[in-house]
Amino acid sequence: MALSLLKRGIFLALVWLALTGEGGLAAALEPEALAFGLPSVMAALWLSLRLSPPLRPWRIWRALRLLPGFVAGSVAGGIDVARRALQRRPAVRSGWLTHRSHLSPPGRVVLGGALSLMPGTLAAGCHKGRLLVHVIDREGGFETAAGREEARLAPLAGGEDETASTGGGA
Amino acid sequence: MIAEFLRDGLSVAFTALGLFFFAAGSLGLLRFPDVFSRLHALTKADNLGLGFLALGLMFQAPGWAVVAKLALIWALALLAAGTVAQLVARAALMKGERR
Repeated sequence: MALSLLKRGIFLALVWLALTGEGGLAAALEPEALAFGLPSVMAALWLSLRLSPPLRPWRIWRALRLLPGFVAGSVAGGIDVARRALQRRPAVRSGWLTHRSHLSPPGRVVLGGALSLMPGTLAAGCHKGRLLVHVIDREGGFETAAGREEARLAPLAGGEDETASTGGGA
Repeated sequence: MIAEFLRDGLSVAFTALGLFFFAAGSLGLLRFPDVFSRLHALTKADNLGLGFLALGLMFQAPGWAVVAKLALIWALALLAAGTVAQLVARAALMKGERR
């Protein structure tokens, strides 16, 4: 609890610095600046604890390790959809598939958000424990994307039982 | 002098790339046949466009705080795009758009 409080506090202080620290670090530590900064960070910390209590520790380093793959995937996603939009006839063959997810409900929202930025896939919520995934091209080879993405995100969820990955199915 | 030239060049190149992806996303929004594929275009292409735009502007930033602010803007927009795309898709699905 104390550790996650500290982590959140540091994170929010960094956000405050990013928003207001244009005068440099020294200026941000002046008493006049701290008079605004400290209450703001405290208020944000209080709000964040109210809105999302720390049930699990944030795996910041694990999340950072995923960043390169995530950026590469979202670049590929943008290029893929731009290419389809620019073709003489838009290359769209809409289809649906479902993916049985082993993640917790919040984990599924993260999975859905990530999938929506990867090439070819778009999540549309869950139905009876299965994530509904729209694919932009039925013949685009996107069937395995959901399983791959879940396997990638699983280390963030943390639970030992949640590291198993599954493939997507039609 | 050369550093400045290089910085401006990178800014122009990356913002141009950003604009290209924004344009492609808008084109997809207009040309794609159904709600869901239009969402693909909006979330993915615009996210990449904003990313390149922010990257291009970073080369003009006077200090690290501005770089961090641009990165924050992109991260928040990314979060919003991923979430909103799911919500719109689910709402469309519930309303009976089935393609």
